[in-house]
Amino acid sequence: MNEFVESRLHFKRKVMVVDDEEINRKILEKILSPEYEVILAENGDEAMALVRENKDTLSIILLDLLMPGTDGFSVLGMIQGDVELKHIPVIVLTSETTAEVQSLKMGAADFIPKPYNVPEVILARIGKTIQLYESIDIVSATQYDELTGLYNKDYFMEYASVIDQYYPDTGMDAIVLDINRFHVLNELYGRAFGDRLLKMIGNSVRGYIMDKKGIACRYNADGFLVYMPHTESPEKLFLAITDHISGELNDARMRIRMGIYPEADKKLDLHKRFDRALFACNSVKGDYSRQIACYDTEMHEQEAYNERLAGDMEKALGERQFIVYYQPKFNIQGDEPYLSSAEALIRWKHPELGMISPGKFIPIFEENGMIRRLDRFVWREAARQVAEWKDKYGIAVPVSVNVSRVDLMKPGFVDEITGILKDCGIGPKEYMLEVTESAYTEDSDRIISIVNELRTLGFTIEMDDFGTGYSSLNMLSSLPIDVLKLDMRFVRDIHENEKDLRMVELIVDIAKYLNLKVVAEGVEKKEQYALLKDAGVHIIQGFYFSRPVPDGEFEKFIEERKGKRV
Amino acid sequence: MITVEKLKELGCNTEEGLGRCFGDESFYLSLVPGAFEKERYENLDRLIKEGNMGDAFEEAHAMKGVLANLSITPLFDVVSEITELLRAKAETDYSPLIEKMWEVYTPFGEML
Repeated sequence: MNEFVESRLHFKRKVMVVDDEEINRKILEKILSPEYEVILAENGDEAMALVRENKDTLSIILLDLLMPGTDGFSVLGMIQGDVELKHIPVIVLTSETTAEVQSLKMGAADFIPKPYNVPEVILARIGKTIQLYESIDIVSATQYDELTGLYNKDYFMEYASVIDQYYPDTGMDAIVLDINRFHVLNELYGRAFGDRLLKMIGNSVRGYIMDKKGIACRYNADGFLVYMPHTESPEKLFLAITDHISGELNDARMRIRMGIYPEADKKLDLHKRFDRALFACNSVKGDYSRQIACYDTEMHEQEAYNERLAGDMEKALGERQFIVYYQPKFNIQGDEPYLSSAEALIRWKHPELGMISPGKFIPIFEENGMIRRLDRFVWREAARQVAEWKDKYGIAVPVSVNVSRVDLMKPGFVDEITGILKDCGIGPKEYMLEVTESAYTEDSDRIISIVNELRTLGFTIEMDDFGTGYSSLNMLSSLPIDVLKLDMRFVRDIHENEKDLRMVELIVDIAKYLNLKVVAEGVEKKEQYALLKDAGVHIIQGFYFSRPVPDGEFEKFIEERKGKRV
Repeated sequence: MITVEKLKELGCNTEEGLGRCFGDESFYLSLVPGAFEKERYENLDRLIKEGNMGDAFEEAHAMKGVLANLSITPLFDVVSEITELLRAKAETDYSPLIEKMWEVYTPFGEML
């Protein structure tokens, strides 16, 4: 047997005897000392001092009730009223029936009558009580979240179902609280900061629900669930939290969101009810004007629509309802722009719902994990298309595909992507990978090492959505990338906003210094195009040249380029 | 000198008292003198005579507990009777009972 386990099984538990009569203390010490480590106290004050000193190691207290000064009832009251001590069981020593009843009502675990029973009976009674309380301690330890002291999710769900069972007619609100980009906060300010924040939120939640007969738990590291009787003013919970943590929130990017499913339908499974609260919570993600949302009819319809899309995906893949569109990218460095490459973008032509925007279905598939199958479909289809055009026109039009951090982190990703290219007969120079800036924020060393491997193999790496993440200049110089792809929000107002233009010029200068090319996407107007060209941007993508188009329609751009003999 | 035989002769349930001490005679006998400390009986006598019935009850109750655990039956019986009257705050003449207490105490006190 493991030495540690064995020592734990055979260690002597600590018992405290509190009695003002020395003879009584000595008799109990005689009875207990073969099995327990015994500590003695001859009055209430000494007892309390020793209890506090031994609070983590004391297994039980045997307490005389009638003592001069601080008596046993007072000691029992102090122990029961102290959250740090009340887990220690107390057995009272008494000869009075009325005192037995009173002390049991006050929280005593048991009593030992005076004069004492035979030693075996006393030992058995103490042993049973210790065993019972230790079992309770183990159960308690598994029902609470260690960091916040709230329940853990399993216990919370169990407790919520018991509440439903006993109070079937009480309207209950299911509430989800979530912290935006919590992992980024952890990265920026350290884990200790994140933990402190979670504890503070946990404390405010507990403080708020305590007198409202609600329960709460932490889930998924940075989220909280609350189940409480319906209230017309749920925002009070939100305000209680934000008031409490406002001092910590110097970072404007740090936001808390709250989703409420009010008077949740009890016919629904509990998890489903909290899914609805989460749905409401997610509806304000990225919306900087709102932080609280209630699940309503509109959301219900939206949810039903989402569920339908999730359910239809498998069939859609089989029936080739997904189509890859290509948006051309034009090199604008010379006198005349010319087609340099394309970005592969997914579209869904649903037989009943018509053309569905990727903005509607991609978040759903990201959530249910099916996005990887869709990504793979796009990678393969794009590679096949590059090969087909190369064969048909004799020129290679490199196509870029999106790769998420989850894809990069998946073991075997590099083999998978090189395998696809090999199957289609094209090389890495004809195939580019777009990785978002935010992909580098967590486990950046690992991501960098994988991207380095891809570059060594000859892939071109574009940093997508540049300017939306948190890259520092220092970090930028160490990232393995070839192209910076400016987020479209830089481009949108460039012809009207001097500051945006200066920002783009600055980024282009930095890119030149780091020997990177710059792509601007979302270019729609001639003025934008002209300014970006003057600023030194290399490549343009956007409606100014073309929206994303099906492969057949894209071929006209290839033919044009062929005609220009670039 | 106090012995188990003498205690038994005086009416103590020594078998029971020893039982609480795992039959350890010398341990039991080391505790017994504490139950015969004259000062405590004198203290109880004084408190009752002074009419301090609250303190008298606490003292009597404490003595009763010790006598019970050591099974000093004759002294336990009389102290127990006093304790219950004091608990009930009985307005009675305690002197016959105090006299009886000293009477029972004498042979035990002489052993010290």
